[in-house]
Amino acid sequence: MDTWNNFLQGTITLFSDPIGILIFFGGVIGGMLFGAIPGVSMLTLAAILLPFTAHLSPEHGIMLFSVIYCTGVYGGAITAILFNIPGAPENAPTAFDGYPMTQNGQAGKAVGAAVMCSALGGVVSTIIMMIATAPIADWAISAFGPPEIFALVFFGLAVAASVGAKTFWKGWLSILIGLMVAVVGLDPVGGIERYDFEMPYLLAGIHFIPTILGFFAVSEIFVQAEKKVRGSYQAPKMSVDFPSLQELIAHKFAVVRSIVIGFFCGILPGIGATLAAFMGYNEAVRWSKTPEEFGKGKLEGVISSETANNAATGAAMIPLLALGLPGGALTAMMVGVFQMHDMEPGPLVFLNSADLVWVVFAAMFFANCSILLIGFLETKTIINLLRIPFQFLAPMILLLATVGAYAVRGLTIDVVVMFLAGVVGFFLRRSGYSVAGIVLGLILGKIGEQTFAQAMQMLHFEWSGFFNRPIALLLLVAGLLTLCGSIYGAFFKKASAPAPTGSDHPPEPPPPAGG
Amino acid sequence: MKFSKNLAASAVALAAMALSANTAYAACASDNLPSGMDKPGGYPQRALTMVVPYGPAGGSGQVAQAMAQAVSDLTGVSINRDHKPGGSGTVGMTAFMASPADGYSVLEHIDDASSAHALDSTRPNPATDLIPLVTSQITFSQVYIRTNEDRFSDWDSFVKWVKAQNGKATIANVSKEGSMERVTMKFMTDATGMKIQQISFDKGAPRYGALAGGQVDALFEQPGDVRKFLDAGKFKPILTILKERPSAFADVPSLTDAGLDFEPLFRFRGFYTHKGVPAERVEWLKWAFQKAYCQPSYQKYNESKFMTLIESFRDTAGTQELINTTVKQYRGVYKQMGLEVK
Repeated sequence: MDTWNNFLQGTITLFSDPIGILIFFGGVIGGMLFGAIPGVSMLTLAAILLPFTAHLSPEHGIMLFSVIYCTGVYGGAITAILFNIPGAPENAPTAFDGYPMTQNGQAGKAVGAAVMCSALGGVVSTIIMMIATAPIADWAISAFGPPEIFALVFFGLAVAASVGAKTFWKGWLSILIGLMVAVVGLDPVGGIERYDFEMPYLLAGIHFIPTILGFFAVSEIFVQAEKKVRGSYQAPKMSVDFPSLQELIAHKFAVVRSIVIGFFCGILPGIGATLAAFMGYNEAVRWSKTPEEFGKGKLEGVISSETANNAATGAAMIPLLALGLPGGALTAMMVGVFQMHDMEPGPLVFLNSADLVWVVFAAMFFANCSILLIGFLETKTIINLLRIPFQFLAPMILLLATVGAYAVRGLTIDVVVMFLAGVVGFFLRRSGYSVAGIVLGLILGKIGEQTFAQAMQMLHFEWSGFFNRPIALLLLVAGLLTLCGSIYGAFFKKASAPAPTGSDHPPEPPPPAGG
Repeated sequence: MKFSKNLAASAVALAAMALSANTAYAACASDNLPSGMDKPGGYPQRALTMVVPYGPAGGSGQVAQAMAQAVSDLTGVSINRDHKPGGSGTVGMTAFMASPADGYSVLEHIDDASSAHALDSTRPNPATDLIPLVTSQITFSQVYIRTNEDRFSDWDSFVKWVKAQNGKATIANVSKEGSMERVTMKFMTDATGMKIQQISFDKGAPRYGALAGGQVDALFEQPGDVRKFLDAGKFKPILTILKERPSAFADVPSLTDAGLDFEPLFRFRGFYTHKGVPAERVEWLKWAFQKAYCQPSYQKYNESKFMTLIESFRDTAGTQELINTTVKQYRGVYKQMGLEVK
């Protein structure tokens, strides 16, 4: 009852103040816009706005950032679906099936599903956040240490190996390429310099955002340009057909599963929405009766990814507000907003600034609801971007991708990496390797290496230590079973299957993104 | 123990300089500078760029933001912060060194630049290869435990408990090779005879979460970074790594109280410009950054981060002395640790 009353009070405070309403809608639209433009993500908007929040009240400043967070994560899905350019890393798995859907003339359906599932995932996680922030945060940090996070990463990689590649071997090779790229730069534990080739900028490592932009946006432009030259280019068909209620209800298990996964990943400090989206997508593939249809335009792929990444937004606020532990870059910036107003997120916020917390909770709830409203209204407009002829669209995408790659860290090497990834991705996609697997190997590799080293230090370099940690053990066993299952599928089922799923020489046209 | 004896001579100067603890700062360090200064030849005519070798949300990002704001408020000149994280500050330093020496670029950097030069002299020496404008934060470290910890309650019982674990006890840390944290831990374990496993977390949030969640037994950190946990009563300091107790931690034992005979190492952050910048521009930058240190907004920020417990201000000469002492101190330690000093 207290929760309900607090929520009502937060809502009244939010909507009884004209400035608050203005900032709320500014954040909703700004987050969606910046989320939708590749490179200039919600983080860019947040970085621009950070100094100005000093002139806002604490409620308005923190509310603005939390609203940008919710809508920005959704906004990135639009370009992922329409142009194969994830607006943010957490939208990358959305492109795996969203872009093929656009190519199949189902752009409206994909964007509509993204709208509904982003809103749903966000609303549910916000409600859970409102009900149980403190106990969940305490449980998460005590139950999930480096050994558990490493085990989670291992499980994720085992599942990911079966996503998108033509064969078992190509799936694992794709993951391993990603893992190899992830070790470039400083060793995250000992600070040892690796594979820098005397180039100081390589010490910063290979960032996954330029890699994603290269693999997805640049290589896609190469693919389409090749088709244009060969005369086989076909503009994506326009469609504004939204998914029917029946279609969404048919995926109810995928939605629930992705909410659980997204929420779970979101509450772990330093993990966040990107892993949530990949895990949500991977699990959709793993649980599917027709996994071979993923990567070719399956609605469930979009639903799983977008539900999971928005479910992570509310969850990420839990460690931030309850413990002062930011889960990602945007929540870390929120710490800055708190500090500008002489406040620190953490247990004292609930004690000293309960009003503020409930205004933020209410704002996040309504921001997720507004995704539904504004998302549907804007979808019909945004889909018209597909009418732009390829020769005009491609340079615009390249320009945006280049700006986006540079904007991550202000390093020219990231632009070089993006174009290299574009060329490499162009050839890999033709030969049945999974660029999604490489990206996932890169993202999870960095987390996995660090948590593995930390886990070994914590377990005093004894493998048997994992047996004393039930959650870690469970995840490792699940990963091993997944691995065994894919080996079995690759070597034994193949013999009885008349049509092999993989080939070194795939038929034309080349497999879509992620495949 | 051996380390401290060899290093005592050089470190005493630093400790004495830094340990003006418990001093009330009624007057700010750069109050004696003029309140205004003419722009030399119209410089600066455009915004300055501040290269920050770390992300915007961490300690360096925050101090860069606070100082940029203070300088802008004082001079009316805008400062664009250019964050170039990666390589423990190497990437930002390399990018800064490649920028023109025209006075429009300044660099924020921490003591890592000094320790990197101490380990490898081909890396820039901030005292001689750059011109320090101001050091605006100097802080010390502490060892923390959870407030609700029931296995030990203070430094003595902690050391006793750690020794009983035969190397199984853990402490969260940033234990990169040659880092201030790793070197200080070496001092502590040698001085006490305890064996403790350091768990390396390069980011603050997971490091603090590890202690709060009971994944590790203790935490090595600077007080400003964990202030919210201290104010919330979640963490409790059990050792201050200073020779004397600062006023804000009067009930926490210092090195002297704990009978630990080594010289403390400090974390410091400051601002630099290129060596080849015209002298009159350097003078203007020195005035702007040193004067901005005393701007109320910057002082308020430093106070919120426990950065006024020991004197944080160093002018150009003071910063050079601080760096030279630190480099000498680290070199000695590295050789003792068997690290290859280039």
